Amino acid sequence: MNRFSFLRAFLLGIVLVSPGIIPHVCIASELVASSRITVTDFRGKTISLDRPAGRIVCLIESALSGLYMLGAADRVVGISANVYQGDVYPYYAAMDPRIAEKSLPAPGNWDFVNIERVIALDPDLVIIWSRQEESIRAIEERGIPVFGVFIGSFEDIYREMRALGKLTGTSERAGQLIDAAKEELTRIGAKTQTVGKRPRVYFMWSQGELETSGSKSTVHELITLAGGENVCGGIEQEHLVVNMERVLAWDPEVIVLWVNERKGPKDILDSPIWQGVRAVRTQNVHELPDVFSSDLWTLKFQYVVKLLAEWCHPDVYGEADLEKERREIFVKLYGEKILPALSPR
Amino acid sequence: MGNMNDALRVERLSFRYGKRLVLDDIHLVMREGTFTVLLGKNGSGKSTLLRVMAGLAQCGSGKIELLGKDLRSLSASSRARILGFLPQQHRPVFPFSVEDVVLTGRACHVTLIPGKKDREKAFEAMDRVGIMHLAGRSFTELSGGEQQMVMIARVLAQEPRIILLDEPTAHLDFVNQARLLDLIRELVDSGLTVAAVLHDPNLAFLYGDEFVFLKNGRLQSVSSSQKPWDGSLLNAVYDMDVHTVPYGKRALVIPGGDKKSVDHS
Amino acid sequence: MKRPAIRWILYGLPVPVLVLSLLVGPSDVMSPGQAVLWMARRLAGFSGQADAKEALVSAILWNVRLPRVLLTFLVGGALAASGNSIQALFRNPLVCPYLLGLSSGGAFGAALALTTSWIPLQPSAFLFGLLAVTSSYLLARVRGRIATVSLILSGVIVSGIFTSLLTILQFLTDPFKLQTIVHWTMGNLHNATWEKVRSAAPLILASTACLFLMRWRMNVLALGDEEMRAVGLNPEREKLLLILPATLAASASVAVAGVIGLAGLMVPHMVRMMIGPDNTHTLPACFAFGGSFLLLVDNLSRTTASFELPVGVFTTLAGGPFFIFLLKRAGIGWET
Repeated sequence: MNRFSFLRAFLLGIVLVSPGIIPHVCIASELVASSRITVTDFRGKTISLDRPAGRIVCLIESALSGLYMLGAADRVVGISANVYQGDVYPYYAAMDPRIAEKSLPAPGNWDFVNIERVIALDPDLVIIWSRQEESIRAIEERGIPVFGVFIGSFEDIYREMRALGKLTGTSERAGQLIDAAKEELTRIGAKTQTVGKRPRVYFMWSQGELETSGSKSTVHELITLAGGENVCGGIEQEHLVVNMERVLAWDPEVIVLWVNERKGPKDILDSPIWQGVRAVRTQNVHELPDVFSSDLWTLKFQYVVKLLAEWCHPDVYGEADLEKERREIFVKLYGEKILPALSPR
Repeated sequence: MGNMNDALRVERLSFRYGKRLVLDDIHLVMREGTFTVLLGKNGSGKSTLLRVMAGLAQCGSGKIELLGKDLRSLSASSRARILGFLPQQHRPVFPFSVEDVVLTGRACHVTLIPGKKDREKAFEAMDRVGIMHLAGRSFTELSGGEQQMVMIARVLAQEPRIILLDEPTAHLDFVNQARLLDLIRELVDSGLTVAAVLHDPNLAFLYGDEFVFLKNGRLQSVSSSQKPWDGSLLNAVYDMDVHTVPYGKRALVIPGGDKKSVDHS
Repeated sequence: MKRPAIRWILYGLPVPVLVLSLLVGPSDVMSPGQAVLWMARRLAGFSGQADAKEALVSAILWNVRLPRVLLTFLVGGALAASGNSIQALFRNPLVCPYLLGLSSGGAFGAALALTTSWIPLQPSAFLFGLLAVTSSYLLARVRGRIATVSLILSGVIVSGIFTSLLTILQFLTDPFKLQTIVHWTMGNLHNATWEKVRSAAPLILASTACLFLMRWRMNVLALGDEEMRAVGLNPEREKLLLILPATLAASASVAVAGVIGLAGLMVPHMVRMMIGPDNTHTLPACFAFGGSFLLLVDNLSRTTASFELPVGVFTTLAGGPFFIFLLKRAGIGWET
């Protein structure tokens, strides 16, 4: 940890002292290697850099999160606009004064990218959703390397982190984080297996009570890793609307709501339609805390797995202090600077 | 002639359409039990006058009385009970049956749904006009002339005391023109008051009791020595040469002009 | 065109269709036999459940199917009756209840509610739908008169305005909310609850009753403004008396079920083709047939796919071919 605080201070010092210098500073722990850095992005395209990226425009909030975890956030010169909105903002503001001051440019978002502004930031790497083909083409035509991302499974998160580690010269740290996450999952798996059976879980997206995910989805992985069984596992679709009758017939024992502004567990518990369901009778209806903490596209997913595991197997976990666990995981991922944002609940 | 009361009085009526003065200081009296014909060139204001009298155009200045009551003070349905109007054009969209179309004429007598009495009146009207054989047919399938007869039956079903007709003979063939005008005579003889805009002065003089001439929105004055079928009067009204041929107490009107190519010998 | 037999068939459709709909559902959940048994027991006066399986059947039938069936019927009937009235009003069989901006206004209201979490969804959709129609109406008023063409034009303008506002909202919001908005707009009956039935039924039934009372006047309206005046009716008053209940019924439907397209346009057309254009018969027939039609369509959607598809997809798929068949056979039967 110390090394990175020092390096960051060093960097900031340089930038403050010599503002005129072209900020292609490539300071990384693996600076010595002069061979090219090559990674394959999620489109299957090969990206090559001469040296670790020093000016990154990251238009994906979850990837940005990953950069902060890797300690490479100082190289970020442009972010996506949604970082400044919603409940994710306080977390980033705590970690980065530039974001607290709103001085870090935000030239694009998940749907719209201002190509001019991106180019004007003179990046040597742009991270963007692989589906934003037009924007990608426009940027690559200017000779700027683009790393396209698409997270369809938790394995993809590991892949993304490894690639980002390579691109920023923080591979060691990336490896550490990934291993730690895998260990955590193994621990959870071991604990939940002692129970023997898997409780039936129904996952409810915020778009509607009947919106859920089938077997080919990160939600399904989530539930499985947590030692549960996705009631909707018989249907393959990633995101679908089911029939209420089916849900009643499936009789889930645990209901998990995605972060929902309009509804909460109480609405389900009070709703006449849901009355007969086992989860409602045993008051086992939960809502994920907030978008930043529940982000299934980052290594934070291990926290969500833990949450679900605790909800599915309350006897195994007993009176777990969920908040304490969140703090622990976050500090492991981001460092202590994130603590101010974790307000006591 | 029965009662000599005034069915309809018009005094000092002027009507503007935007800035244009369409009717200028019209005075008109129609007695009960008479058939008045409005004559004039196209654009002379005859249709407008008829529509204003029917209460369909927002009144200009002046006064109109129906059976002694001020037109403006009457509600739409009270007015409809006294006065029926046959417009010039119909553009039907839905294929209603003839029976249903005639039935709509009963609107001012019906609260929500027509009853048996209303249906009977509708059938009576159709019988009077002679279109019972068309009752079940679809209105949109009929010829222009047949549609016109249906609309006339509709006006009759309304049971008004005064009927105003705008160019009722427009789409009718020779036979039906005569039938219609005969019908009007029957109605008038039974006490109704009828006024119609006719384009053909001959039909007017053959069937009408009273005549109103319009030119450029003003009444063409008829001096006491002139008959309505006076040649010089008609010259002035139509701005063209006409010849008149005596016919009984009245006259027939023939367009003038030099028809060299036609052999009239 | 008078075929009383067909008319009575249409009037009588709702009851068997309603009962049938209760028996129909995703087959792996419960068999029709079980549903029949449950209904028989209920009617015979038994209450309480024999076992857990019975409890599930009861829960499904009472809490899920029955409200959905009732809501679907009400919405289908309301849209069809409203469509019939609007077509009579505009003397044009190609218009639908959404003509005056109802769907765009309602969609905007719903989107507004979905993006800000404190505005309630149904009231917002309902009120903005009404606001749109009121704006169209007032825009079209010139010197106390309302020409039909003006109404159509102002409807187009108001629709356009609300659609642009909706587009802006959609653009500014995050992907999750956007998806919710889009799903809502496609029309959905799968979220039917007794609460929705309770909120929509009184308004739909009251408005449809008003339309029912006006059904003969629609015939008079259909003949033209001037003819109407000649015959003693005030066109402005009659138009208002029609637009108001037609809009309330359609708006209430949109508020609880989203924008279900084509039902309000096609069903009156189909009914007219079957029994002629006399509104004294088509109005009640539209309500009965419209409700039954939507029910049958929804039954289809409930049983075929393992997931829910927007009901509008099925209305077009199921209604389209039927419409073509009628067209080929009877001809449209109206002149422009």
